[in-house]
Amino acid sequence: MVLERVIAVRNSKTVYRDGANCIKVFDEGYSKADVLNEALNQAKVEKIGICIPEIKEVCKIDGKWAIVSEYIKGNTIERLMELEPEKKDEYLEQFVSLHMDILSKTCPNLNRLKDKMNAQITLADIDATARYDLHARVDGMPRGANVCHGDFIPSNVIVAEDGRPFVIDWAHVTQGNPLADVARTYLLFWLGGNINGASQYLDLYCMKSGVSKQDVQNWMPVVAAAQSTKGNEKEREFLLSWVNVFEYN
Amino acid sequence: MESNVYEITDSVEKLEAAISRVRAAQEIFASYTQEQVDRIFSAAAMAANRARISMAKLAVEETGMGIVEDKVIKNHFASEYIYNKYRDLKTCGVICEDKASGMKKVAEPIGVVAAVIPTTNPTSTAFFKALLALKTRNGIIISPHPRAKKSTVEAAKIVLEAAVAAGAPENIISWIDVPSLEVKATRMKKAAIMLATGGPGMVRSAYSSGKPALGVGAGNTPAIIDDTADVVLAVNSIIHSKTFDNGMICASEQSVIVLDKVYDAAKAEFAARGCYFLKEDETERVRKTIIVNGALNAKIVGQKAATIAALAHVNVPCGTKILIGEVESVDISEEFAHEKLSPVLAMYRAKDIQDAFAKAERLVADGGFGHTSSIYLNAVTEQDKIQEFSSRMKTCRVLVNTPSSHGGIGDLYNFRLDPSLTLGCGSWGGNSVSGNVGPMNLINIKTVAERRENMLWFRAPEKVYFKKGCLRTALDELKNVLGKKRAFIVTDKFLYEHGCIKPITSQLDEMGIEHAAFFNVAPDPTLACAREGAEQMKAFRPDCIIAVGGGSAMDAGKIMWVLYEHPEADFHDMAMRFMDIRKRTYVFPKMGEKAYFIAVPTSAGTGSEATPFAVITDEKTGVKYPLADYELMPDMAIIDTDFHMTAPKGLTAASGIDAVTHALEAYASLMATDYTDSLAIRALQIIFKYLPRAYDNGLNDAVAREKMANAATMAGMSFANAFLGVCHSMAHKLGAFHHIPHGIANALLIDETLRFNASEAPSKMGTFPQYDHPHTLARYAEVAEALGIDGDSDSDKLENLIMAIDSLKERVGIKPTIRDYVPDEKDFLDRLDEMTEQAFDDQCTAANPRYPLMSEIKQMYLNAYYGRSFKEEEKPDASFIASGDSQFDSHNFKYVYSSKTDKN
Repeated sequence: MVLERVIAVRNSKTVYRDGANCIKVFDEGYSKADVLNEALNQAKVEKIGICIPEIKEVCKIDGKWAIVSEYIKGNTIERLMELEPEKKDEYLEQFVSLHMDILSKTCPNLNRLKDKMNAQITLADIDATARYDLHARVDGMPRGANVCHGDFIPSNVIVAEDGRPFVIDWAHVTQGNPLADVARTYLLFWLGGNINGASQYLDLYCMKSGVSKQDVQNWMPVVAAAQSTKGNEKEREFLLSWVNVFEYN
Repeated sequence: MESNVYEITDSVEKLEAAISRVRAAQEIFASYTQEQVDRIFSAAAMAANRARISMAKLAVEETGMGIVEDKVIKNHFASEYIYNKYRDLKTCGVICEDKASGMKKVAEPIGVVAAVIPTTNPTSTAFFKALLALKTRNGIIISPHPRAKKSTVEAAKIVLEAAVAAGAPENIISWIDVPSLEVKATRMKKAAIMLATGGPGMVRSAYSSGKPALGVGAGNTPAIIDDTADVVLAVNSIIHSKTFDNGMICASEQSVIVLDKVYDAAKAEFAARGCYFLKEDETERVRKTIIVNGALNAKIVGQKAATIAALAHVNVPCGTKILIGEVESVDISEEFAHEKLSPVLAMYRAKDIQDAFAKAERLVADGGFGHTSSIYLNAVTEQDKIQEFSSRMKTCRVLVNTPSSHGGIGDLYNFRLDPSLTLGCGSWGGNSVSGNVGPMNLINIKTVAERRENMLWFRAPEKVYFKKGCLRTALDELKNVLGKKRAFIVTDKFLYEHGCIKPITSQLDEMGIEHAAFFNVAPDPTLACAREGAEQMKAFRPDCIIAVGGGSAMDAGKIMWVLYEHPEADFHDMAMRFMDIRKRTYVFPKMGEKAYFIAVPTSAGTGSEATPFAVITDEKTGVKYPLADYELMPDMAIIDTDFHMTAPKGLTAASGIDAVTHALEAYASLMATDYTDSLAIRALQIIFKYLPRAYDNGLNDAVAREKMANAATMAGMSFANAFLGVCHSMAHKLGAFHHIPHGIANALLIDETLRFNASEAPSKMGTFPQYDHPHTLARYAEVAEALGIDGDSDSDKLENLIMAIDSLKERVGIKPTIRDYVPDEKDFLDRLDEMTEQAFDDQCTAANPRYPLMSEIKQMYLNAYYGRSFKEEEKPDASFIASGDSQFDSHNFKYVYSSKTDKN
């Protein structure tokens, strides 16, 4: 395996291309369980009827864990929006349609969204009273058993040369209520500084799917609280302003 | 305050231990009497009342929300009003008893109640729920919100200590000191019921716990001010309510919708009473402050108006009562349209009342489904508006001219709305309760129901004239007693043309009673025929109807009577099957308001002169409508042998056997009584003796004719009250499918029916409390004995009875099998399944002592067709456990029956 062409560098991982393969190499010290879990998650969703690069191998390269998968030639939707700003609306449309498509799928072996959320809230650096409210809120949210990507953003969709959109980075996939995943995508747009994009995305999603914005917004406090375990200090402050809402109890 | 030391419940293990303690205490408490419970309830309410101020202070201090003085009112309400309302309510043991009906209701506690207490009312709701639990002998685990745990726990302690001092078991109330998710889940799993008060999330999670839950939810109360309202009263009520505890009551007004005509007046009144109207830019800033991403900002809940204004960088005087935003959209995207739990109010202008209703509907749908709505108007003149408003609002409380915070919790502004701090929102709010929650929601009510027998009655025509020549006296009554002036005679062509009604018309003429006649009744009378007769009646306007003839003429007369009195009546409805004539769905129209009905039979058989039944055929569809209702009972029956003398032989035979089956079925019926039995037995004795004579020499044997006439009417009275059975069900359909005269059809099926009903272990017996075990064999044996037919056993007597019936049938020329009348075997078999199903569904099936399976009906038809005998399906052999002493054979009906009678 030749680790020469770097495609992307992310927090604690580097992605290389080797011919028809894409190799994601995790930094030393990265949790083995997380790596194997990511590979397992992706393997679980491979057959749900969405274009997903196939997992080929999980191995160690120079003492570091790596996941080898199919390489997809093409640009991400994020890149395409930059390259062709005049077609931005078209790409957003494609992005939303793809999200709806994923959210219509089921995959019974995945972890539960609410379990993951409750676990994250337990870890969040929020005072106990607010955590209590958030747990109660998670409990009271509507259930669901749809595939929730967990990190669905334009940079995680590659449009292949034949036009088929491939969805990558399934590390956070769970099964749960679709609107939670929509709320998360909205939040990720915000965190990426694209506030305009966030509201365009949400408007379009609600219009196309016929769900009410209010139903998506109901998820915001818990999605923001769960997200707050990850981000940096600045993000945290912003997220907490979304968390501190009153659940009448 | 007492300083008892309690174990701190801060983990799942400790909670489990605490729940065990409460459960043990509750088991003791469950045996307390009403007097003990009421003493404890009173002591606990007194203690809560005494602590009203200290607890209010503690709650405000701990939560930083609300107003001490208002929380005092809540605490006072939760103790005094709840006690006052329920002090005399029976909640222990027998709470209601009806000895005559054999019914009593027994109240039992549910067990351990898990109560969730909200931050908005941390002490008053704790008092309220603890008091309800004590009144109902339940244990309670109180789960505070972390933000208000100290005050909630303190309130629980006060109630506990007072209750224990008054004799309640130790540990009957417990609480969670340190609430957490895990502890919450445990509490839900271990408790018998959840009593949750809180927001939608809390309530949904309570319902999803898998335990029964009484949960309530958020409100979004709209208040309409109509242009007929007393604006000063309306505005000041709303201010009073909205500022109560800084707007933290869930029934509190969130929006006020003012009709255009009074908008300015209302606005001026709000302003004059210290409310602040936000300017446009201020409105925008407050919007973004109160709601974050569609959810309520925690920082504003229960705060003063000025505090909230400061958060939004709006400068208002410190004493400002309410911040009012004048907004237009009722959509959920408008922040002001939400529940705000603070003195912030949305104000809308409505162009008319319909616009106001539409806005209120939308606001309720957005966030307050099931909770509360309110309207101000002139309640004297505007009842229509109240009516429309209450029908359009999907809220469980609709308040009129009432501050909604105070009004919703009940007993303050209306004294029939139960006081409560837990307001049910019904299915609209995803709740299991729609009223204000009270003690009755925390008890299980057992209904103890003893077996009782059905009430029965005996109905017969008001007057029955009999004896040869009685017509004259009977008709005389029409003029001299009843004062009738116009008589309408219904009969058939044969009787009419043979002058049979001449004696009637002559006498009517003599008495000067106008009369007309309809003589076009054919056998199996049709609806068309009845309509034709009814048309003539309509024109003639009789005050008396005289039906003369056999079953057809009398039935047709009854139907014409119905059409004449109630032309609007629907035959489909009237023919609806019933299980019990006294519980039928259809209410039969009242008869007799226009005409008096007299039946004069000319043959001895149908008994229609004494029954509340009539059968009519819809000639277009071929459907037969068997009508049955006591309204159809003739007012007078005239059994005059003179009309019977010329009845032809075939008719005499068929009608006579029909009467035999009437008596046999009435005697075996589930609804047979001593009254109907005696008539049936006597009728059978007469028929067995006189039918052959009437058949042989009817024209000359007036004694036989008279006896037969009486017997037929007596059998009619018997089955008019005891009803018939499956023989008639099958005969009705056999007659309809294969055009066999009714009496013959019954004759062909009666043997099968007797054997079928006589089974001591039928596949299913009929359902009627009086019919306590299958005992029809013994009943038939009684019939045999009454007819002087012997046998060594009941079964022998039955077989001999059947032989006697067979020889009577043969004696009067009736052939033995259906095949003798329906030679086309293929046609019979082809339509057998359809005939079977219709027979099963016949009204007569209901009273049969054995509930027939369709397969059994089919078998009976086949047996009667081919002349075979009914054979029971094989049953397990019971002989090896027989005691040998027939006195104690439970199947021996006569023994059981007589021993019962002796006791009485």
